[in-house]
Amino acid sequence: MIHVINISVLGKAQAYTIAGCRDGGAHWVRHALTCFVAMGLSLVATAHVLAGGVDHGAQIAATCASCHRVEAGERGIPPIVGLSEAKLTQALLAYRFSERPSHVMHAIALSLSDEDIAGVARFLAAKGKASPP
Amino acid sequence: MTSWTRREFSGGLAGAAALPVLRPRAARGQAKAQVVVIGGGVGGATVAKYLAASTPAVEVTLVESGRLYATCFFSNLYIAGLRSFQSLTYGYGAFAGRYGIRVVHDSATAVESDSKTVKLESGAVLSYDRLVVAPGIAFRDGAIAGYDEAAMQVMPHAWKAGPQSKLLHRQLQTMEDGGLFVLVVPPDPFRCPPAPYERASLVAAYFQRHKPRAKILILDAKDTFPGQNLFEDAWARNYPGMIEWLPAQFTGGVKEVDGKARLIKTAGGGAFTAAVANVIPAQMAGQIAQRSGLTDRSGWCPVDPITFESTLQPGIHLVGDTIIAGDMPKSAFSANSQAKACAFAIGASLTGFPPPAPHLFNTCYTFLAPDEAWSNAISFKPVGATIRTAHVFVSKVEDSAETRHQSAREAEGWYIAFTEDVFG
Repeated sequence: MIHVINISVLGKAQAYTIAGCRDGGAHWVRHALTCFVAMGLSLVATAHVLAGGVDHGAQIAATCASCHRVEAGERGIPPIVGLSEAKLTQALLAYRFSERPSHVMHAIALSLSDEDIAGVARFLAAKGKASPP
Repeated sequence: MTSWTRREFSGGLAGAAALPVLRPRAARGQAKAQVVVIGGGVGGATVAKYLAASTPAVEVTLVESGRLYATCFFSNLYIAGLRSFQSLTYGYGAFAGRYGIRVVHDSATAVESDSKTVKLESGAVLSYDRLVVAPGIAFRDGAIAGYDEAAMQVMPHAWKAGPQSKLLHRQLQTMEDGGLFVLVVPPDPFRCPPAPYERASLVAAYFQRHKPRAKILILDAKDTFPGQNLFEDAWARNYPGMIEWLPAQFTGGVKEVDGKARLIKTAGGGAFTAAVANVIPAQMAGQIAQRSGLTDRSGWCPVDPITFESTLQPGIHLVGDTIIAGDMPKSAFSANSQAKACAFAIGASLTGFPPPAPHLFNTCYTFLAPDEAWSNAISFKPVGATIRTAHVFVSKVEDSAETRHQSAREAEGWYIAFTEDVFG
């Protein structure tokens, strides 16, 4: 079985072809990475993309997960999974300019650089494609 | 590009938002780095989960004596009869299975930083490469004369969700109409700064329906409090004449209690006999932090603002209410935010990277009535040896009723998402 992993979700358009790794369900990423190691392949990425070994967008998305359910729809707080990269970027840039409609998102958006916004939008959009709400 | 494989890749990120990206050298056959986390509250559970999810080269052991954890946040809704206690409780089973975290139900009694071991009450000893200590708060003995273990059973603090919350809930339910509920608020810093006033608001809503002649007296150790204009506006609108707040400048603060008589005495000579008394004592870092040389003279734990490593004991990290976090309040949200930064920093360090820049944030939803809330939103950044506010936004008194209702609905949504982020 051939799995092609598109590393563009990591912010870098790099693709790897791995033979012999099977889908491991919820822990597939771990399994895949173990396969990388077992096969002597390496994930090459620049330090700024993989700041500290964890994708930069994923680190920002960890903050989103404190209020937004990542896996499903929600009540009270609007869902973010399932939105496109362009829509997420647009929304975060709009939140920077006004306390309305959400001062929480205004504070968040003001704390993010353009690179942060690009990274988290890319990460969440990729995640949304994997599990539509 | 290849959307199928892209789906597969991100489809593996169940639960944690963190994307596990492993540096190959970190897991090449050698023994996994051992990280022990003491304390399964919001800070400890979040570190354990995010570290286990993001760094496969690490084996995480969580030490927590309780099998169920009850959230302090939203416990005021339970105390005021608006939510069941069960709806606040979470176990560790699902979380342990999903992320491969070993959960040990025991209490840490000593940390030996020289041998990098933790002693447990059962006699077991755990070795660690990195230790995370997240014990929350302890109460300062003798801060209020007479407030001992026995007095706590008569005048609960209900500041750690559990039997104390149940006791206060019961007392309020059985209190006669026309009784006086006295709420004693401690000096800063303490866990969840707006929570005493939220408690007063929600208990007032309960009294209004069930005991309309009851009164609430707040005896504060401070002269101002967070969200004061928002609370005072809501109290005047919703519960006119029911809540009285006395700052320390009028009373000198509470200095003594008599548990048997439910009598509360202030330094200025005042004495109040309560039908129900909720005495919240002054606080400090949790016991294990006190015993392990992790606290400074303030009674709290100084840490590096990027890695959350103790500045007193290398190799030991701390998060949550127990630390000195500069401008960050002692809240569950702060603990969760610090824990993620700490997990990423430990993961980076164990895999040979410098720590990433932390994203530190706090939001608190605070109820003014069962269907009204206000919120704040604060971003922080490390500045020198401490953490400073970068941006802060708070609800306004002139916000519309619909905005306050909307905040209450958001609060409910936030609770679901947040507890899933920590324990799911």
